[in-house]
Amino acid sequence: MTTSHRSSLGRLFHGETAVDFYGRRRRGFTVSLVLLVLSVVSLFARGLDLGLDFEGGVAWQVPATASMDADIARDVLRENGLDPANAKVQKLSNASEETIRVQVADQPADVVDAVQKSLAEAASVSSEDVSVTSVSSSWGRAITEKAIRALVIFLVLVTIYISWRFEWRMAVAAIAAMAHDVVISVGVYSVLQFEVTPATVVAFLTILGYSLYDTIVVFDKVQDNVKSFSGTRMPIADIVNVSTNQVLMRSINTSVSSLLPVLSLLILGSGVFGAVTLREFAIALLVGMLTGAYSSLIVATPLVALLKQRETKYASLVGPHSTGDTLRAMVVSGLPTGVRATRRAEATDGGPSSGGSDTATAVLTHPPRPRKKRRR
Amino acid sequence: MTRRWLGSLIGVVAVVLLALVGNLSAGNEIALGLDLQGGVSVTQEPVGEYNSESLDVAVERIRERVDALGVSEPEIIRQGDAVVVNLPGVDNQDEAIRLVQVTGAVLLRPVVSASPISPGAGVPETEAPATGSTPDTTAAPGPSRSIPGATTPDTAPDTTPEATSETLATDSASPSDAEPVDSVADTADDSVPPTGSDLPPASEFADVAAQPISSDPNDPTASVIVQNIDGTEIYQLGPAFATGEVFNSDATADIIQGGWGVRVTLKRGSGGEDLWNIGASQCFSGTGSCPTRRMAIVLDGVVQSAPTVNQPSFSGGVDITGNFKESEAKDLARVLKSGALPVRLEVQAVQTVSPTLGEDSLRATLVAGLIGIALVLLFMILYYRTLAIVVVGGLVVSGGILWNVITFLSASSGLALSLAGAAGIIVSVGITIDSYVVFFEKLKDEVKAGRTLRNSAERGFKSTWRTIVAADTVSLLAAFTLWYLTVGSVRGFAFFLGLATLTDLVVAWFFTRPAMMLLARSGRIGRRGAFGIKVAPGGAS
Repeated sequence: MTTSHRSSLGRLFHGETAVDFYGRRRRGFTVSLVLLVLSVVSLFARGLDLGLDFEGGVAWQVPATASMDADIARDVLRENGLDPANAKVQKLSNASEETIRVQVADQPADVVDAVQKSLAEAASVSSEDVSVTSVSSSWGRAITEKAIRALVIFLVLVTIYISWRFEWRMAVAAIAAMAHDVVISVGVYSVLQFEVTPATVVAFLTILGYSLYDTIVVFDKVQDNVKSFSGTRMPIADIVNVSTNQVLMRSINTSVSSLLPVLSLLILGSGVFGAVTLREFAIALLVGMLTGAYSSLIVATPLVALLKQRETKYASLVGPHSTGDTLRAMVVSGLPTGVRATRRAEATDGGPSSGGSDTATAVLTHPPRPRKKRRR
Repeated sequence: MTRRWLGSLIGVVAVVLLALVGNLSAGNEIALGLDLQGGVSVTQEPVGEYNSESLDVAVERIRERVDALGVSEPEIIRQGDAVVVNLPGVDNQDEAIRLVQVTGAVLLRPVVSASPISPGAGVPETEAPATGSTPDTTAAPGPSRSIPGATTPDTAPDTTPEATSETLATDSASPSDAEPVDSVADTADDSVPPTGSDLPPASEFADVAAQPISSDPNDPTASVIVQNIDGTEIYQLGPAFATGEVFNSDATADIIQGGWGVRVTLKRGSGGEDLWNIGASQCFSGTGSCPTRRMAIVLDGVVQSAPTVNQPSFSGGVDITGNFKESEAKDLARVLKSGALPVRLEVQAVQTVSPTLGEDSLRATLVAGLIGIALVLLFMILYYRTLAIVVVGGLVVSGGILWNVITFLSASSGLALSLAGAAGIIVSVGITIDSYVVFFEKLKDEVKAGRTLRNSAERGFKSTWRTIVAADTVSLLAAFTLWYLTVGSVRGFAFFLGLATLTDLVVAWFFTRPAMMLLARSGRIGRRGAFGIKVAPGGAS
């Protein structure tokens, strides 16, 4: 199979990429670190714009008729003894109508009713057309606490599951990558001061799921390759690089297919059709999916390599890893290639070995037969 | 082998089609959540001290009130301690809040008069039913026979067996000095005739009847007219003399003197026993405020039981006997428990969604979702060419499964599709597509390694299945944890995410696998260009 005269896109399509993810890990880590620091700084400096459902409060939504605009809405508040300075008055528009949304802190029920009636009067609509949303602040806190508790329990369960299905090192790396994604997504909300609504929380949780899902698909490949390369003296960096390149196309395809519906929700749903409820949800998902795809390849996998290097089996194999065409050959064939591939792992047990073939180009034609027992 | 694959393929499509036909012929439709349909949502949470019975009873009362109102497809959801009531189509917020504010508090009211409601005929029965009313009054306290129909001038009240045979007596565990327990035993078990024999003087009675009758059946200070729980009797009740809080929350249904009854103890002191005894002695003596000698136990404007008071004073506890069925006795015990420590529900959140907003959101979500899915399919067709047939088929099948499950659950258990849920489904399309991508990429690897298509499909699916299961397990873990532990839209989202993930697994195993195996055998995708790479010679066999 000739690989040299293909464009990089063609290589991608045919699964013949040879990106040295492990070798460039520092670059990826630096980018991630910068983003993380930005997010955390913003979270402390600017905080999050928590919506009604978390902080409690009242919001009225009234059709923006000829006699109703933001200033009139503020006047209505003043008439009812509320300070418009503490209120958030927004104009929302979608395809069929424009509405004015007025949000203030928690109010007693009679004030809520009075404002509803005055707003309806001012807009000359019936008071049923003015929709009211009210959430007590204690309920908002309760929701947040429940969500956090659910999150913690979920993380514990996932850690147990990954440790059981793969190994604890991968669990650590997967959770780290996931935390990375969630912190950056929350950071985006903090930097852009988007309002955090229950839908946003749903979105963050989805991100968390996607991130883990993505990472697990990559780890599955790594685990596969660790098995099929087990008879060789390949450094873990090579195994990880081969695996990452092998799943690269899948990661890109999946990300594109996951992002298309989200982009459609964002651009068509909220942009063209004006379903505002969807916008924040879609933005959170978009950011989360992008970081999720990024972190599974750039953060999680090199991290596993670093962790696994401390294992006795791989500790002795640390050294220069293959790049370029050697890596490409391995990615394409899925088989160990190169000088180190053919030397048996005699160094690990220190004992005399029967000695493998010393020809540098010798390549196994079949993956090694799985051993019943690990050689010790 | 081919036949097995074909069988599986036809089987899954047939099941989906059958379910589809079943759902359509049953007229099941997807119920839309509040945010898509418009309406009012009220979230309440108990504050202060309460027991679990009172919360249960309060929720049941809310359900009955909402049902009585005739709201179509109301949703009453218990989320932990919180009670969420979604009332689609209701746009009056105040009405909705009033509707759902119940406490599970029990009022004890004297029965001024009682008359049966006879179905059909508007004429009340005048004769006491013979069954179960054979008097055995030898040991019964007080005057023995009553004169039916004496209590109200315009109606001839009578008492159905359920009502008349209920008696109140001191708990046998702590008998009062006034009445020996034995007499209670004798009066119980269907044998107490309608009492209320001592007809009050006409003047006194007029006073009672002249009391203004409140339109709010829960006003404790006014006289009210209410029905009993099975709608067989209607009562005029005087102002409440006490609430169910005179009891300890230890009411139990028990066999008392050979029949099912309820035994409950009284709280000590002025708030319990003393208060109760004031009412009991009034009712026992059959004076003006309580001419029928019966005391009604009222929950939310419905008389749960109206037993005759057999003793002027009680100490320690009360037995309520009569010809209860076991379930009736248990229900009454639960009501008393609830009344002993009524729950105070506080409105935590109110949301009014205007239907137009809902409609717009629904259309936007649907159109955007469908366009998104169409784009994904286009991408799949461009990238995987012939293989995309399987993706399209798989999406159609999983769409069919989801539609069937959602419509069925909508019809059977009141599941409503919310905006978050709809978005969750669209998002989970990504997960389904990913299963295919993982599979096809694996397939390409195998083919490139020089294996035949048949071989590649089998090997590819094996390893893909492992990956899908591992990844979907995480999604399911997330869905389940969130569904179980959170409230509101997050919960709705989790439900549909979990449903879509399960569907993904089912479709991968029962549809994608046989479809791919058959496709690999047919040789159609073996041709060059079918999915973008060359297949080894012989691969098309």
